[in-house]
Order: sequence, then structure tokens, then C-alpha cells
Amino acid sequence: MIRKNLRLPQLIIAGFMLCLFATAHMLGFNMKTLISTSFTKFAMNGVMVLAMIPMLKAGAGLNFGLPIGIISGLVGMCLSIQLRLSGMGGFFCALLFTLPVALFFGFLYALILDHVKGKEDIAAIFIGYSVIPLMDFFWTVAPFTNREMLYPIGGSGLRPKISLENYFGSVLDNLWSFELAGLTIPTGLLLFYSLIALLLFLFFKTRTGEAMEALGQNEDFCYLAGIPVKKIRHLAIILSTLIGGVGIIVYAQSYGFVELYNGPSGFAFPAVSSIIIGGYIGKESGVFQAMLGTYLYQTIYLLSSPIANAVLIPELSEITRMIVTNGIILYAFLQQNRRKHD
Amino acid sequence: MTPFLETKNLSKSFGSTDALSNLNLSIHRGEILGVVGANGSGKTTLMNILFGNSIISETGGYTGEIYIDGEKVEIPSSADAIRLGLGMVHQEFMLIPEMSVEENVTMGKEASSSLFHKKNHALGWLNQTKNQAFCKKTMESLGMDIPPKTPVKFLSITLRQFVEIAREISRNPLRLLLLDEPTAALNYEDSLLLLQTLRELAGRGVSILFCSHRLQEICRICDRVIVLRDGKQVDEYTGQEMRPDRMAKAMIGHTIRTVHKTASSSSGETILQFSDYQVAMPADELRGLNLSVLRGEILGISSLSGGGKSAVGYGLMGMFPSSGRVQFHGEEISSFSATKLMRQGILLLPDDRKQQGILADKSVTDNIVFTAFHAGARFQKRAAGLFFVKDKKAASAYASQMISRLQIKCSSPEQPSGELSGGNQQKVCIARTSAMNPEVLFVYEPTRGVDVEAKEKILELLVRMNKEEQTTIVMISSELDELVRVCDRIAVLCEGTLSAILPPDATEEAFGLAYAGEWTHD
Repeated sequence: MIRKNLRLPQLIIAGFMLCLFATAHMLGFNMKTLISTSFTKFAMNGVMVLAMIPMLKAGAGLNFGLPIGIISGLVGMCLSIQLRLSGMGGFFCALLFTLPVALFFGFLYALILDHVKGKEDIAAIFIGYSVIPLMDFFWTVAPFTNREMLYPIGGSGLRPKISLENYFGSVLDNLWSFELAGLTIPTGLLLFYSLIALLLFLFFKTRTGEAMEALGQNEDFCYLAGIPVKKIRHLAIILSTLIGGVGIIVYAQSYGFVELYNGPSGFAFPAVSSIIIGGYIGKESGVFQAMLGTYLYQTIYLLSSPIANAVLIPELSEITRMIVTNGIILYAFLQQNRRKHD
Repeated sequence: MTPFLETKNLSKSFGSTDALSNLNLSIHRGEILGVVGANGSGKTTLMNILFGNSIISETGGYTGEIYIDGEKVEIPSSADAIRLGLGMVHQEFMLIPEMSVEENVTMGKEASSSLFHKKNHALGWLNQTKNQAFCKKTMESLGMDIPPKTPVKFLSITLRQFVEIAREISRNPLRLLLLDEPTAALNYEDSLLLLQTLRELAGRGVSILFCSHRLQEICRICDRVIVLRDGKQVDEYTGQEMRPDRMAKAMIGHTIRTVHKTASSSSGETILQFSDYQVAMPADELRGLNLSVLRGEILGISSLSGGGKSAVGYGLMGMFPSSGRVQFHGEEISSFSATKLMRQGILLLPDDRKQQGILADKSVTDNIVFTAFHAGARFQKRAAGLFFVKDKKAASAYASQMISRLQIKCSSPEQPSGELSGGNQQKVCIARTSAMNPEVLFVYEPTRGVDVEAKEKILELLVRMNKEEQTTIVMISSELDELVRVCDRIAVLCEGTLSAILPPDATEEAFGLAYAGEWTHD
């Protein structure tokens, strides 16, 4: 499976990442912290990248509408905080509350995408953008009463950044975590991420999953084979939305804060970039590509800034990071398109 | 006198098939030359070569020579063709819907005022008044009065055809006009008007190459007609020799009939009944079909392209909007949906194999069991007592059985089916339907793009399916040769309605006339 899925661009990007690690080592950075952080970043962002897969497989384009899923997750978390649920209970209740919200939003999202068949990517970008201000309105007027969620002064409207310290912050990170040769391994986080990935992998082995995959490859074929095309497509979009919701909860518990208002806008592009770097080709995108891409993207992003900081003047570090990460995305994209024409 | 245009040994092949071979043709000034032939006989290829359409150069160009006024010319692009005084009216409209009639007609030859003291400079202002007057005049010469500013998208199909013609005849100098099925979209009166215009053009010395399926029209307007079959000129008629029945026979040709279906297995009972059935399929519209399909028969449906044969099954499957009544086993079908019909036992194999018939990236096995697994609930088992997953053992057992029975040539059952040859892909498709064991099977162009040996095999499979499993088969094909071999009855459509139902042993003239919609009882 590895041999089939690993392609030259991915090897080159991975090689580049190793170079960065080597440079970091030569510059005398604390390698243990870097490696450990890279794993945490990988797992905390990973689920949101998995949210790309159902839609890609079903031929509904890149899930640029990830903010919709994220918002469902945010609503779920806010409900959980409102009820002052903490620890594992709070985390799982947040997941539970997310479910109906994601189903509802996902369905609406699917209905909109039905009207823009073939141009889903670009439409999804704007759906993602337009849903954020709508939710800004909601965050301001929603009748939440937990003081820790509201603006400290004035007392009405949710604050932009809600701390999870007293609720379910780091519950997964700390679960069964242990030290190994000085590295902190966030066992619970990695396990939960693997579980979601495994479930998704298994889903595509079921009848519905195979139909979804076939739908992405050839819609007419599926229609003539008696597959309820529309239903399966809707299901894929809803599933993507739901995974997006789960993704932000995993992210938030690790990050320690729930970011409302413009928070959701920053996740879609990194997630899309990750799966592109992972080497998705057309509709052929699997859990493996998503995971590989997430690790490569997050790690290069993590490493490039401190290295640039040390090597160049500090003002250039952010610019270098942008050039490097976006350049790599562009490279992976070009490679992918070239292969399509062969 | 040297002819205006002459071709010598003009040949063109697409891959291994000869679309046109060694055609020698000449057109004199002011002559209207008709070209007739069945689908795939090379008419459109001939036009494409003469007009320098890019499809020719993209597929390796042509061989042979073209002479205009006795001088050898090369026509590598349409711009060159126009420079040489050629114009072409296409079968599919080449108009810009968002632009007005005037802009479409004058495109490329607009009158412009001198911005840089240079006539017709690329940056000159368009002279609206002049252009509109020009357009109006041209349209009036065709007997049409359309406001020049009307966007083309608001016009009817008939009017669009006239706009297309107006654009070509207003070229200056126009010396040869190529017409590919110009009247296919027109009704009787409009086509008469067009023919009259063409006569006037010819009177002014313009040569016309006229392709049409309407044999009567050809007889009425042409000075001379040539018949193409399989890329070769098989006959030529002038004056009184031009008769629709003769042309029809020459078009279809004599066929070598190898395998016949033996006695009819039909019970005579109607299984599927179409009443005033209409399907809005672009370019192949069905305008009211009344037809009954008998249980256990193989019914062939044929027509020239655009005659409506494809719309029958695709409309039923809900791929295009349709109206009218269809009864299955005497019960009216309420919604045309593939999912529902499949549950009732109606299945369709599309003609566009690459796009609709196979999942190219999936293995042969996956393709063979796909429909049965997803729509027929076969080859499945429960995982963890909850979810349906594929029963791989049963699936691969069935697939290998089918592979050996149908002699599907593949390196292994796991080979992606996109890598197989066309004939073997078709066998995979048939294996896929077999697994569903349908009551009625619509099969489109089952032998298109398939070599001779595979063709026999596929026809044999269909006949066997019909005989052994009593599957009613509706075979939609443009190849009369194969229809007469395996069908019990052949329904010929023309212009979206039933033209005739003929027995497979009907004469070639009868088929030719039925295709042209001119067949009558005795």
C-alpha cells in the first residue's frame, strides 16, 4: 500500500522536511520538543484534513466549506461549556451536540452544492466565507449564560476566545500520555485520531462507501447502475461536515481555547493544502494521503519559521515561512495536474 | 473546363479505421453536388478535410491532393479555407448564443471605420449602422426578417439555422459552400425556402456540396449525387438516375449475414408499451413514439443520427426529460428513474462505454459485480452484523466464471478494466448485466468500436441471454447489418417518430426508405 501511495513529489517534499530537521539540529534547536510538537500538531489538525475525503471521493470537490463543519463543532462545544461539563464527559458531550448541528448544516450545504455541480470548489469557498458573518450574528445574540463564555465587560455576547481550562482542555493530549526518551507522547490524541481515520477507512469498504467512491469516478455509470446518486452525494457532504466538526473539537481541546467569530476562517486552506501535499490525484484520495499530507504540511510549517528566524533576519521569518509552505503546495499541485494529463 | 474543386485519392484514417479512402471528386462552378451515405460513411470527414477543421490535423492529417481551379492547395486550417472562398454550415450550430444576429453574421468581416486612417484596422470602431444594414440585407435574401440586434439565444432552432447559413453566404468571395445536414432541424416549408436560396446561389456561380439524409431533397436540388459507403464512393447518379430507392440501396449496400437468430422466442405478449412517448434529448429528440415491445423478443431500434433512437432508453432511465405514457406489464411507469426501474427488472447498457459503461479505475471483478452488489443486493455480507460489505469470495468466484465463459481477455481479474480493449470492456458490461438477470435489457450500440471476432461473440451472448434467460432485449444500433442478424423485429425511427417496423428479412430498399421516413405500406 505504501509503495502504491507514495509518489515522487511526496518523497521530495519529505526529503525537504528531513533537510529542515537536519538544519534545525545543526542550529542547536531542542529536537525533542520539535518532534514532540510536530506529532501534536499532526494529530490536532489531522481530523480536519480527513474531512476532505468523503467529498473528494464522491466527486464533490475540495471541501473549502470546512468552516461549516467547524461551526457545527463550535456550537457543540459551546453547548457543552454552557452545561459546565468538564473532562472526558465534556469532550464527548461536545461531540454528541455537534452531531445534529452538523447533520443540519451539512444537509443545507449539500443542497447548495447540488446547484453548482462541477464548480463545487469555488462555490464552497464562498459558502465558507459567507457562513462566518452569519454565525457572528449568532454568537452575539445566542442566549448563553455561562459567565466564562461571555464578554467580561458588558456581559452579553460570546467572547471570541473561550478558555477550555476548566472544561475539557487537553483531555485527549493528557490521556495516557507518557514520556519516552524525553519526548512527550500524546497517546490519547493519537489514538483518537487513528480511530477516526480507521473508521473512515472502514467506511469505504462498505457498500455505501464503495458507491460513494464509484460516484466520484463516474456519475453516469452509477446512475445507470441504480445507485441513488443524489442521496449518496448528500451523505458524503454531510459526512465531511460532521468530520469537520469533530476536527475542530479535537483541535480546540489541544489548543486550549474555543475560537469563535473569525476563528473558523483559517482552517480550510491549511486542510486543503495538506491533502494536496499528501498527493491526492483527482478523486483518488485516501486516508493515507490525508495523514501523510497533514504531517508534511504541519511539520514544514512548524520548522520553517524558527529556522528562518535563526538564519535570516527575524523580520523575514514569517515571509520565508509563507514562501516555503505555499511554494510546496504549488509544487504538489503542479505535479498532480501534470500527471492527470499523461 | 477545369472543375472548381477536385480531389485526387483523398484518404483519411482514424486509428486503424478508414474514414475515407481514395476519393476522387470534382465540383464545377455553379454545380450542386449531393453526397449521401449512412452514418460513418465519411461524409462529415470529407467536409472536415475540405474546410480544414482542426480535428483532421490533430488526428494526423489526410493524404491525397486537393486542387482548386486546377492548382494544388493545402488547407491546414479553417482560416485558409475561408481565404480560398469556402464556407461551411455545420450540423451542430456554430453560433455564439449571447451575441446578436448581426454580430454572428458579420463576425470576422465587420465593417469598421478608420480609427488610424486605415480601413478595417483591427482597432477600428465597429460601424453598427453598416453592419446592421448588411445583416438585414443578407437575412432578407433568405426571406427572413429578424431584427439584427436580437440575441441568437432567443431564436428558434429554425431561425438559428438560417443565421448560420446567412453568415456563410455573406462571405465575399464565396465560391464553394459546404452544407452538412442543413435541413435536419428545419420543417418542410423552411427547408423549401432554403433549397430555393441555394438554387439562387448556384445560379450566381457558387458551387455547393450538399450532405443530407433526406433523399427527396437531394433529388430535388442536386445536379449530381455521389454515394459513399465505408469511406468509398460506390455510385454516382445524374439527372433522371437520381431516385431515392436506388440511393438508399447503394447507401446500405449488400451485407454478409453470418449468424441469424433462430426461431422467435417471443410469446406475443406486450411487456413494454410506449404511447405518445416524447423525450427532449438534445440532437436526438423523440417526438411521440408509439411502440410495443413483446415479451421475450429481440427488438432492434434504428434510425439515422438525430432520428431519435438513442432517446428511447435514456428517456426511460430519466436521463432526459420525457412525457407520454409507458406501461410495463400493463402498469404505467410513474417515474422514470434508473434506481426504480432497475428494481423492477429494466436495465440499460449505454453506448458510451468509456464515459458511462465501465469504471475504468476499478478491477474487472469489481465492474462485473458492481450493479448486482449495489442495486441487486447480491455478493454482500454483513460486517459486525451491521454494515453491508462485499463478499469478496462470492464476487471473485462469479467474476472468474464470467471471465472464462465470455472469454474476457484480461491479465487477471484484478486488472483495471480501463486497460482492456473495447470488445472486452463490452463483455465486462454484459457480464455485469447478466449478474442482475434483468427482464428487459436496453443495449446501445453493443458492437461499436469492436473488432470482427469480438462482435460475433457479443451478438452471440445477447442471443443466448435472450434464449436461455428469456430476457427481452431492445437493441439500439445504427448498424443495420447486425440488427437484421439477431432481431425478431426492427423498428426504424425517423425524425423522432416511428417510421416502420420491419422484419429482419425486409429488402434493403425498404430499410433505406424507412430511414428516410418515406416508407409506406405497399
